[in-house]
Amino acid sequence: MTQVARPAPGKPRRLDTFTLASEPGNERLALARVAGTVKDLGLSEARLERLKTAVAEATMNAIEHGNGNRPEIPVEVEVTLDGDEIIVTISDQGGEAHAAQNAGDPEEPDLLKKLDGAQTPRGWGLFLIRNMVDAMNVTTDGQRHTIWLTMRTGGAAHGEHV
Amino acid sequence: MASMCEATTRIVPGAAVIELSGDIDGSAAAIMTAAYAEAVNGDSPEPLGTVVLDFGAVDYINSTGIALIVSVLARARAERRKVVACGLSAHYREIFDITRLSDFIELFPDLDHAVSQLTGPAA
Repeated sequence: MTQVARPAPGKPRRLDTFTLASEPGNERLALARVAGTVKDLGLSEARLERLKTAVAEATMNAIEHGNGNRPEIPVEVEVTLDGDEIIVTISDQGGEAHAAQNAGDPEEPDLLKKLDGAQTPRGWGLFLIRNMVDAMNVTTDGQRHTIWLTMRTGGAAHGEHV
Repeated sequence: MASMCEATTRIVPGAAVIELSGDIDGSAAAIMTAAYAEAVNGDSPEPLGTVVLDFGAVDYINSTGIALIVSVLARARAERRKVVACGLSAHYREIFDITRLSDFIELFPDLDHAVSQLTGPAA
């Protein structure tokens, strides 16, 4: 049986922080590094895969929509363990860009509408993130835009027994 | 951006198979489009009513890749072709369920299962 070290309650522990250049494809670096950071925290394989997808999609959004694919503007990633919650924050400098993108309450992706041409085939990113993690929050402080991904170490994915 | 996706196509009785490998992301758009065209326009003695997407050697699919798959499915539906998929990992099968792609694309564990289903039981 794997023993997982837990921090004392109420004491969040920062496990890692790093930055990435805003270049397409760098989301794979974020995915791999976060996966390495959390690999011994007791997430099941299915939930680790879900977190990896959420981190990749959130990082893609930060690179593309937040920082406009400008390599000189970094995407900041931080991984924290708070009790049994893994919290990954991904920050960019595109507060206004995100606000413009989300103006008018964007429609939820609907596959049938996409197949019929009533919606663009794209637009799955936030939908996937919301469905992959236990909680997703977004904060904006001026230009700094941060997405917060929370995954409990003991939860179960759909149809999965832990 | 250089693509890390590769696609090869071949014909089995009644179906065109697109074997994908690497990453299905934004860099795969041209390859996916070309592979579909090559697969369905291939030299086949009979109409190709089904397209098989084989993901057995795919490492990564992101939201842009999902959009590419939606585009392939939309084109196939417009041409009255069925799309089936095989070789997806448990994680990507879950994503096909969440996005409802699996409502429109029948999923098989691997290419052998997909082809045997398409060609029917042996006499």
